[in-house]
Amino acid sequence: MKRVWILRLIILSVLWIGLGVLTLDGKANEQILWQAGVFSLLLLIGVAVEKLVAYRGDLYLLPTVQLILVIGLVVLTRIRPAAALKQFWWACLGLFVFYFILYALRDYRALGRYRYLAGLGAVVLLFITLLFGVAQGGATSWLQIGNLNFESEELVKVAMLIFLASYLSEYEEILRIGTVQIGRFSLPDWRTLGPFLAMGGFSLLLLAAQKSLGTALVFFSLYVLVLYVVTERWIYLGVAVPVFLCTGTLGYFLFGHVQVRIATWIDPWVDASGGGYQIAQSLFAIGGGKIIGTGLGNGIGASQVPAASTDFIFAIIAEELGFAGAMAVLMLFLIVVLRAFHISVKAADRFGQILAAGIGILVGTEAIIILAGVTKLLPLTGIPLPWVSYGGSSLLIHFLLLGILANISHAEAADPMHSKHKGREYAA
Amino acid sequence: MKKGLRNVAIGFSLSIICLSFGLVYWQVVRSTDLMENPANRRLILLEQRVVRGGIFDRNGEVLAQTDLNDEKKTRVYPKGEAIEPLMGYATLLHGSSGLEAYLGDWLLGIKDATATQALEQAFQLPRRGNDVVLTLDYRLQKVAYEGLKGKIGSAVALDPRSGEVLALASQPSFEGNGLDENWDKISQKPGSPFLNHAFALYTPGSTLKIMTSGALLRAGLNTGDLYNCTGTAVINGQVIREQNDKAHGWVNFNLALAESCNTYFATYGVKAGDKQFLQTAKAFGFGEEIPFELPVKLSTLTNEAAVPHRLDENLLAASAFGQGEVLVSPFHMALITAGVANQGVIMQPYIVEQVRDENQNVLYQKNPEPWLTALSADQAARIKSAMVTAVNDGTASPGGIAAFQVAAKTGSAEPGGDVPTHAWYIAFAPADNPQIAVAVLVENGGTGGGASAPIARAIIESALSQKVGDNT
Repeated sequence: MKRVWILRLIILSVLWIGLGVLTLDGKANEQILWQAGVFSLLLLIGVAVEKLVAYRGDLYLLPTVQLILVIGLVVLTRIRPAAALKQFWWACLGLFVFYFILYALRDYRALGRYRYLAGLGAVVLLFITLLFGVAQGGATSWLQIGNLNFESEELVKVAMLIFLASYLSEYEEILRIGTVQIGRFSLPDWRTLGPFLAMGGFSLLLLAAQKSLGTALVFFSLYVLVLYVVTERWIYLGVAVPVFLCTGTLGYFLFGHVQVRIATWIDPWVDASGGGYQIAQSLFAIGGGKIIGTGLGNGIGASQVPAASTDFIFAIIAEELGFAGAMAVLMLFLIVVLRAFHISVKAADRFGQILAAGIGILVGTEAIIILAGVTKLLPLTGIPLPWVSYGGSSLLIHFLLLGILANISHAEAADPMHSKHKGREYAA
Repeated sequence: MKKGLRNVAIGFSLSIICLSFGLVYWQVVRSTDLMENPANRRLILLEQRVVRGGIFDRNGEVLAQTDLNDEKKTRVYPKGEAIEPLMGYATLLHGSSGLEAYLGDWLLGIKDATATQALEQAFQLPRRGNDVVLTLDYRLQKVAYEGLKGKIGSAVALDPRSGEVLALASQPSFEGNGLDENWDKISQKPGSPFLNHAFALYTPGSTLKIMTSGALLRAGLNTGDLYNCTGTAVINGQVIREQNDKAHGWVNFNLALAESCNTYFATYGVKAGDKQFLQTAKAFGFGEEIPFELPVKLSTLTNEAAVPHRLDENLLAASAFGQGEVLVSPFHMALITAGVANQGVIMQPYIVEQVRDENQNVLYQKNPEPWLTALSADQAARIKSAMVTAVNDGTASPGGIAAFQVAAKTGSAEPGGDVPTHAWYIAFAPADNPQIAVAVLVENGGTGGGASAPIARAIIESALSQKVGDNT
């Protein structure tokens, strides 16, 4: 139990030291400090609540994410105090969502029952967004309800994960062994594969139509990797690569901005003030950080890099906190992913296992895709960095997913008898 | 499922490792390249965060300051052309030069940062640089500037007792305000407006005779000896001519300097010998870097930078009256003059009197220090008396002032080719208690007495009537 408090102490010191430096700099205002106070209080109350209801799940999952979160909050305060104010509010709400899911959701297995509803809901939601959505930053991915803008694809992630986990836990064996023999490979029949492919293909098409190419890429990777993890068959990865290359090429010729992205990825310096501006500024910021960074509040990137508070927030972290800080963030994400996989391995049932693995894979691919884009290892596709980038939708949904993850972990620990039998029926 | 998860976990870990290699590549390997990329405005913007300190003259007149208007900084030079190119410039587009460049570390608060500045630097709070107070007297600077206006040349005024630079004008100059817009126009103007002519090298002509005088005195030659000047002399087969072939008749040292007799100095310079001449030159700072805040070109005796070990007789004869291969900057000439004025001791020249932080705490204060001992007090006194004769009864008379005794020497140096001579005038005053030493050069201005003496006289008059140096 002592450990839990020590971890929280570390998180709060990161938050308050960061805000302290920014206050000295005159970048943090009183409002933000108040919000941070509320957030800190909520964070501590959370620990007490955990104790009260005897949470027995993974102890490192939430603190790791909270550490990522406070780093994001501090950097956001430095970049855009006005946005940070809102983000603190979302962070508080996120914590609330996390604990709500953890305790209100009695049995996460119940989620599996709604798999077709979830899958259908996801497709419908995307379709509605395509028809009535609001365009922001080139992508039509925002739904406006009253005064509230919501990025629907974030919610779709949850629905898709539930659908995937439930569907795959049922048809796992068929997918693994196959019923139809084609040459050396035995593949599942169309009836089994049908709903999976239809759901996947359809949602990817809708995302492409919305021009949310980054999210489409995340979904594609999620589908393929989850399918691989469940079946352990390389053939699904083998099929996925040519499919990806074909659709990628198609996308290249269909969308003008894909061509620009590829061109600036190959050489951003040719047009460093035009098409290559974003990536060039990002690299300047990262390069300016060197090993230990310019120090919080000292970087230039915060005012120069476009979308510094959202897609490119990692470039700002790399500049102001240097290689050291950027590495820390990378490691924290790796820890979250590996903790999720750990929960998956220990989970009580197949649905829980796949769901936990899926959440881990989702967070991992999201982080890797945007970070590789920002550092020019891959062409840039703008998606938020989970828990760090500014944006309520992404933050809430990722806390919701984290809640589910904690739930799975808690259920496993609270019901050790059950865990003894876990996966037995599928033992290969 | 376990195996699948393990493989994906390995895949993610490898991706993270790839990302960290990506970071190492950009943050370590390519960091410098990125910083120097022309599209990267990082360094410029970092400097922009500091409010450059002000530059003031000795009386507190603002020479340069940064105006803050809605977070926008503009560097303004209230005195305009009169202080350029000494002041130089500091712009985003064209970099920096002059005092703005060489005092940059002080002005930006980087050099000897105070504790507050260091803290502010670490946290990059909006920061104020330090203010620099110059020894310059803007009133003299203005007189020098106005005297030179329309000509090409420079005027340097020093306090011989301390080495303080009181005026340092160079023409043509430029307007420091709004430099970026006028850059192309200015750089196309004839006469190199961006070049500080006080630090450029010229043939010194007859002004160098005061240095040769030092060699004669060091050699112990009898200055009372009479020499018959016939207008020309032949030394080792080389014909030495007087200006306008004027025969000065019988002259002693005093009269020879006053009348600027070339043949006397050529003959006696050779008599003193190259060893004495070269040693005297070294004692006056030839071949040595001048310890000053701004870079001054090294004065040279021959076509090589270092002072040679020996001079052949022909070159020695020519060098003795400032021709041959001798090249001196007006700034150095002013120092030589100041050395004669200050009983043979040349003080270290300086232009930065004080550096103060924004709370007026003094961070740096320059105290006068001797640089070279060129002459003994007695030798200096005898050269001075000849220079007084030059004003009262010789070629330097256009620089005379009724109220004060001026000691001076003219020069009309042949730069080579069929062009008018460079007009030199070096002077100090009052002769019995020198407070100011001046060197004026006008490129192709004709005779020193004609073109340069009035400028020098105006500076001295202005300085002494205002009692410059009262506060030192």
